[in-house]
Amino acid sequence: MNHDSRGVRTPNRRQFTLGMLVAATAASVPIWVKAEGTKTIAVLFDGLTTEFLVAGMEAIQADLKSRGFQMLQAISNRDDNVQFEQVKSMIARKVDGIIIFQTDSNAVIPAIRAANAANVPIVHFNRPPAESDAYSVAVVADNRGISKATVQAMVDKARASGRKYKAAILIGDLGDVNALGRRDGFTDAVTPAADIIEVVARIPTEWSVDKTFAGLTNAMQANPDIDFLFAGSDFMIPIVQQVLTPLDKWHPAGDPKHVLFGSFDGDSGAYAALESKHLDADGVQDLFFEAKSAVDLVLAIGAGQKPAKIFNDPGLTVTQDNLTSVRDRMWGYSQWKKKHA
Amino acid sequence: MTDANAATAGTGVARRPKRRPLWQRLLLSEYLVLWLSVVYFAIMVPIVPAIASPETFRNILSDLLPLTVVAIGQTVILIIAGIDLSMPAIIAMASVVGASVMTGTGGPLAGSPAAMPLGILTMLAVGAAIGWFNGFCVARLKMPSFMVTLTTSMFFSGVAIWYVTLRSTTTSIANLPRSFVVIGQGDIAGIPNSLWLTLLIAIGVHLMLTRTVLGRHLFAIGVNPRATQVSGVVIARPILLAFVVSGLCAAAGSILYTGRLETGSPILGSNILLDIIGAAVIGGTSLFGGKGKVIWTVFGVLFLVLLDQSLKLMGLTLFMVFAIKGAVILLAAIVDAARTRITGR
Repeated sequence: MNHDSRGVRTPNRRQFTLGMLVAATAASVPIWVKAEGTKTIAVLFDGLTTEFLVAGMEAIQADLKSRGFQMLQAISNRDDNVQFEQVKSMIARKVDGIIIFQTDSNAVIPAIRAANAANVPIVHFNRPPAESDAYSVAVVADNRGISKATVQAMVDKARASGRKYKAAILIGDLGDVNALGRRDGFTDAVTPAADIIEVVARIPTEWSVDKTFAGLTNAMQANPDIDFLFAGSDFMIPIVQQVLTPLDKWHPAGDPKHVLFGSFDGDSGAYAALESKHLDADGVQDLFFEAKSAVDLVLAIGAGQKPAKIFNDPGLTVTQDNLTSVRDRMWGYSQWKKKHA
Repeated sequence: MTDANAATAGTGVARRPKRRPLWQRLLLSEYLVLWLSVVYFAIMVPIVPAIASPETFRNILSDLLPLTVVAIGQTVILIIAGIDLSMPAIIAMASVVGASVMTGTGGPLAGSPAAMPLGILTMLAVGAAIGWFNGFCVARLKMPSFMVTLTTSMFFSGVAIWYVTLRSTTTSIANLPRSFVVIGQGDIAGIPNSLWLTLLIAIGVHLMLTRTVLGRHLFAIGVNPRATQVSGVVIARPILLAFVVSGLCAAAGSILYTGRLETGSPILGSNILLDIIGAAVIGGTSLFGGKGKVIWTVFGVLFLVLLDQSLKLMGLTLFMVFAIKGAVILLAAIVDAARTRITGR
């Protein structure tokens, strides 16, 4: 201790630093102790790299908050092994349930088994695991049904125009069940309309920006009269714009050069394209419904119920006609609002 | 040369070695990281009580074993003042090639009792081959290990993904034989099977480093490769063998990781490079070469896994976890530099 000019004892620099460190440690302890709440749900995502995942995490967080639940978040950064370790840590933490968005449908099976063994309910968000004897429930969009309804809206518009159309589809990764479901939904809708729609190009993209661009460019060169296009994901919208603009085919609905265009997901880019009338219909995964359902299912399994392994999100189709009435259910709209606030 | 020997060297007069200050003795202690782990654990118990649960101890052990195996391989490379950035790519490559041999879904050995042993041999062969290639480029072509292993890492990471697309309709290879999966998951009387493999590798590498001529050459190369060469050692061979050992350790780690996930994945271990190098450096293995022990690396892995577990249990965001782990590894590198300065080399 030092003494000031009045003889009062004052701490020296070392004692002051030590005191501040102790105070900071003591002050931080209650925060962590608070995180030891009784009703806790772990939300384990493989990344927050896309708008969809960020919106999904926010939707789950908002739902848990509205119920007064505690959320423990962990991101595996696309590492199956890290995600497995996170699941085991959450089990050790004795969480009341786990909501997981896994990287790999096969590699997640041991994590499900570990949760089963510890009687911790586990629900997959938006992506189902591979077939196995382990029990979990996956909340997934009805990709085929939503795509069919979306393409049907485009077909109805095409029929109303009285013209005949040449169609193309941008398919995702052929190893991805979501991509296959969307492709099948497209086929379900266009097959009965074969009298007015001829499918001239089925373009595999492997969910790759480069392959989407190259595939669509080649298809447009081979079939310059393509005027009906369905994209398997909204991330492709800017690429479609990039390809169609130099060909003088990127025009809003109502323009004679407009290409009938549909897509899938419901992101902010899709909302903007719908608003500008370049996009005619968008199949939307009802993210808020999926978030709420995931939490409901965790609670149901925890209460001893055994729901079916797949829980479908029926989704919705957003068109220019219903845009203003249903856009609040479109997760991309909430993202779009944030960007334009 | 010990401190006592150093004190008498060149004078011929026996003098008592100068006693270092307490902070220097602590900093230079072999067990510094072990004590830090104990202190850290004691601090965390009241903050996150779950860290003291039997499940967490089991998780720590289960997470520690494969990382230890891989980090031991990195330790050997660091001892020769090199670095192996290709270990995650070797893990991924060994995982998918081994899984494609063993898988019950269209694998050439599907259902055969030979699937497991041949699958393991294939994985080890992949690790050894990539390690040999790295070693050849470093030892014979005199390329910097940083550059060689960075490029092989990029190359084999890509090849692993491409290989899976040839062998599977999904992004990974599943349906592996039970006899293989139990290596990564199973236990005998509560002792994980992976512990035996880890012990075998740890003891083997420890003996190689401390009881063989090869081990002495590796340390000598790490301290001063030119002096080692002038002393009559053909340094290319030990360097090449060090990279083969590193590749084999990565492949052995891949066996454990693949077994516990029951899946051959091309992105397996894609984010653990910092943990691998960090564990070795935190343990005390010098980034400047010539210094390192298997047991130090085990302590380093223990500290890193303990830190990781506590952060997971607290439910901190990814950004916080990255920031804290990065800071700890940076601190370890600073401590390494300080130790090197204190010891005068």
